Amino acid sequence: MDILIYGIINSVSLALMALGFTLVYGISRLPNFAHGALYVTAGYICWQLLHRLGLPYPLAGLLALAIMALAGAAMYQLILVRVRGMAISEIIASYAIGLAILEGLRWGGLKGATVILPPFATGSVGILGVTVDLQRLLVVLLGALLVGGLWLFVNHTRLGLALKGMAQDERAALTLGIDSDRMAVVAMALGSAFAGAAALVLLPLGNIVVEAGYNVLIMAVAVCIVGGLGSWTGAIMAAFIIGFAQILTVVLLGPHYQVVVAILAIILTLIWRPSGLFGRQKELEERV
Amino acid sequence: MLGKIKVLFILAALVGLAQAPAAPAQAAVKPIVLGCPLSTAFLYGWDAERAIKLAVSEINSKGGVQVGNEKRPLAVEVIDTRDLEPGVPVSEALLALEKLILEKHADFIVGGPVRSEAALAAMPLLVKNKKVSILTTGALTPKYHETIAENPEKYKYLFRISGEAKWMVGGEIIPSLLEIGKKFDLNRLFIMVQDVAHARAGGSLIAKIMAGKGWTVLGEPEVYPTGATDFSMGLIKAKDQKAQVMLIWMDMPETSILLKQWYDMKVPALPFGSIIAAAEQPAFWAATEGKGEFCLANVVNAGNAPSNATPWTMKFVDAYKKMWGVEPEGYGTSSSYMAVYTLKDAIERAASVDSDKVADALAKTDLMGVYGRIKFDPKSHQVIPSLDPQEGAVGTIFQWQAGKRIVVFPPSIAMGEILLPPWMKK
Repeated sequence: MDILIYGIINSVSLALMALGFTLVYGISRLPNFAHGALYVTAGYICWQLLHRLGLPYPLAGLLALAIMALAGAAMYQLILVRVRGMAISEIIASYAIGLAILEGLRWGGLKGATVILPPFATGSVGILGVTVDLQRLLVVLLGALLVGGLWLFVNHTRLGLALKGMAQDERAALTLGIDSDRMAVVAMALGSAFAGAAALVLLPLGNIVVEAGYNVLIMAVAVCIVGGLGSWTGAIMAAFIIGFAQILTVVLLGPHYQVVVAILAIILTLIWRPSGLFGRQKELEERV
Repeated sequence: MLGKIKVLFILAALVGLAQAPAAPAQAAVKPIVLGCPLSTAFLYGWDAERAIKLAVSEINSKGGVQVGNEKRPLAVEVIDTRDLEPGVPVSEALLALEKLILEKHADFIVGGPVRSEAALAAMPLLVKNKKVSILTTGALTPKYHETIAENPEKYKYLFRISGEAKWMVGGEIIPSLLEIGKKFDLNRLFIMVQDVAHARAGGSLIAKIMAGKGWTVLGEPEVYPTGATDFSMGLIKAKDQKAQVMLIWMDMPETSILLKQWYDMKVPALPFGSIIAAAEQPAFWAATEGKGEFCLANVVNAGNAPSNATPWTMKFVDAYKKMWGVEPEGYGTSSSYMAVYTLKDAIERAASVDSDKVADALAKTDLMGVYGRIKFDPKSHQVIPSLDPQEGAVGTIFQWQAGKRIVVFPPSIAMGEILLPPWMKK
């Protein structure tokens, strides 16, 4: 039972980490390698608003998300738009931005275990004999709400449908008058806000540290590659596969091997099914 | 035009005159450069840096170090070795050390490299450059002083003024665990270690010794990768196996997450950090919102938490607090501070900054310091440890109690008794 419960928690955490990354890629085909940096920055901004300005937690959280959305949009408009369509340049540029942000934070004093966000709820409950703290249960709940909210937005709002159109076929969307650059800006803003939302939900479980940025990026990339780049359903499925594989590895082999799971998943996927579980990128090539 | 030139001449002359009186005394005095290779983003790096700077500012405020007939100030050159960061190769630390020696012209090396693997790899480089080095933080591996003991002539420049794993385990951790077992009738041990050389070796050694002492050691030590952020499955295992004491040996900041999870899951096992970087720091209480209460932490040397080990201990604690606004933060603080004073003492006795002469003088050190008597083993150059501060360098194990770090071991310097969390009381 503990494997099931902690497997779900771990999987939802991974899905949250990957959602922003897959959202941006799915819509604008832009691999945002600054995703991990945005995650840490959101947590740090929220912490600053809480502790330096003394704002109430919900307001600090919402402001942090708004700032992240603006930062994401600015990042696209000022830098990434210039290299759009050149895959390698996009990766290099976004990774460089992420690196600059993370090492800038470290240089600016973000170190040690002292920068933490308070949990939304304290205490623990027993579920079928397994003790789980309330914050981890909230991760599952908020994760489900975020995924549900995203689904509603994409399928039932004008802007969401435009984004969906872009994701399905950019050229066809253009013929219908959807501005692809504008949609890419919206996608980056949304993706950055999702990175921020994941940070606000997950970081109260631990500390805000620079290293989390690199870790989140690796996890997001692993989930997206296994699930199929750009596929939201695939990302969620992959999060559950990797999440449970990690927990089973901890139980059966030991926690030391946990780090191997994500990397191994990437390698195996690239060998056997390069487009991932639900990806369309190389589907045709694979069939041929 | 001519007027402008005249004005410039006059200004230049004035500037020259203004600087002239200060020049003769100071210009000839070259500072003694202490090169400090430290992983500055982590506790064992930044606390060492702060302690070294404190000692240097105290010494310089009294005129500096007496080298023969002249007093020379100390200067500090810190370089970030990044060796405690996950995934950073040892070669980074070696490059940083080489830069200190070749570019910054460090006369002596004080501090790290911090990670044991990097400290061991740095030994040939230090010897090649004939640099006297005092290791003060991080590296706990016994291999370091054993290597020196195997070839004392070759490694004559290398010293370690902080603790090492063998004494720490045999002389401090095991007696402390046995005392806890006797006092509270506990004998089931669960071990969680980080995947680094000193932690794996330390965990295995403790498992072996405690099994020999009649304790039930529950399985192999659980090894966690550096940077792990979820310890729930290990904690569930500890709970299921009815562990009573949970030994933690990890130097990563994420250990505060482990303690928060321990509290939330109410695991009925006393957390004992033989090395637990996060819990060592005064900020730990706020970082865990008090959930880390009852956690025991070994800070290797006295003075890294308030106690009255020697008359110098609280003077150091207060001076550190005054300069940095926080109590000494953990392992590496008092030893880095003492390294500067020990080096000063050796330079003054040698009346020279020559590496061979200073190394010889260091080997003969006998100084009452912040954490007891500082003397080096003549063969291994390891500071001689003891449970009595009058005899040697004494360690410190404290427990978090009501927001304070209360020293509980060794008995000679203890400031309070070990307590059990409420959910463990029978």
